[in-house]
Amino acid sequence: MTGADPEYGHLVPLLEQYAALDPDDPRREALRDRLVTGFLPIAQHIARRFSNRGEPLDDLVQVATVGLINAIDRFAPDRGSDFFSFAVPTISGEVRRHFRDLGWSMRVPRRLKDLHVSINAVVADLSQTLGRAPKPSEIAERLGVPVAEVLEGLEASEAYRSSSLDEMLSSEKGSATLGELVGAADAELDRVDHRQALRPVLAELAPRERTIVLLRFFGNMTQTQIAEEVGISQMHVSRLLSQTLDRLRTRLDPETRAG
Amino acid sequence: MSEPRHLDETLDGVSTVEVRTSASAALIPTIRAVASDLAARADFDLDAISDLRMAVDEACATLVDVAAPRSVLQCTFQVRPERIQVLAEVQAAQPDATVSTDTFGWRVLKTLADEVEVHHGTAGEDGRGTVGIRLDKRAGVLTQSTSFPVPRPNGEGR
Repeated sequence: MTGADPEYGHLVPLLEQYAALDPDDPRREALRDRLVTGFLPIAQHIARRFSNRGEPLDDLVQVATVGLINAIDRFAPDRGSDFFSFAVPTISGEVRRHFRDLGWSMRVPRRLKDLHVSINAVVADLSQTLGRAPKPSEIAERLGVPVAEVLEGLEASEAYRSSSLDEMLSSEKGSATLGELVGAADAELDRVDHRQALRPVLAELAPRERTIVLLRFFGNMTQTQIAEEVGISQMHVSRLLSQTLDRLRTRLDPETRAG
Repeated sequence: MSEPRHLDETLDGVSTVEVRTSASAALIPTIRAVASDLAARADFDLDAISDLRMAVDEACATLVDVAAPRSVLQCTFQVRPERIQVLAEVQAAQPDATVSTDTFGWRVLKTLADEVEVHHGTAGEDGRGTVGIRLDKRAGVLTQSTSFPVPRPNGEGR
């Protein structure tokens, strides 16, 4: 994706013109409108990548468009980089900030939100090297912060409602293999007592939630393994699992549960 | 088979935490927060922390369903260096109340905890029976090299 891109190629000279104009130049506004309209598909594309995460797509497109406008305003063609490599991170940054600020169901200090993001990144990394979920002490060591702070950060992540920032971009990954995996877990599901009518209740779940439940309770996979398989973070798996168990509990008849 | 009702066994690096609430579903989040906090402070790995949290949630929810009205849910956590044992207990609504083990909920418990068992006891004063669930959770996943899909070798007892 460079300036030679046929879809956006004609906009590149406009970007240069725009950057060269004096801030008070009356032509600026019209030019900016053309640029925003022209590049809008990029913002929409990025917004879509963050969709299905609990925020309405319309809102995400708006936020992404704000990011696009910022990118257009701040872009300096004379620095040598092309517009895309500048705009894409600027726009996704804007959307991420939106999630960070709005995605919390409880007021959590910014410091903890940032810590949550760093913890999430380090957890993914450590899980890979360790082949299992890391311990708080291992996370603390990697981040170079006291364990107490990691504990605080982990607690804060309980307050996070929809999804975490670092797992969003990987949602497309791994879905191809899920069918097979769930197939094996399904066989195991057959061994559960039918009187619980578990299967229809499971069928009501969203595909990803259903997959996670099957893999955890019928496929005998750990959360970390599931996280890797499904392409989301361990903390996200943890949240989805507890939410889903909650739902299942209310849907399944109490007397079939307790006997 | 009565549990010691006092906290005098601080020997062998065991610390004991007891939480008593009304046997009400609304208070379970408090108990599971305690579970999760104890596991995190004991430096369990993140999978184990989350497993314990969900297991305690499930156990308490199961027990609240069979608890006598206006009775107490008591959770005793024994934190050892490498494991946490939990005994959750309620006064049973019916004398013959128990927790059935052929349900999805029980499967959840068996998956999440390393050991689970149903526990029956007598609650002191009025001699009413208690129903409990005892959980044992180790600090980390056994490094099983089992990559998926591997059928469970031990059948689920059915």
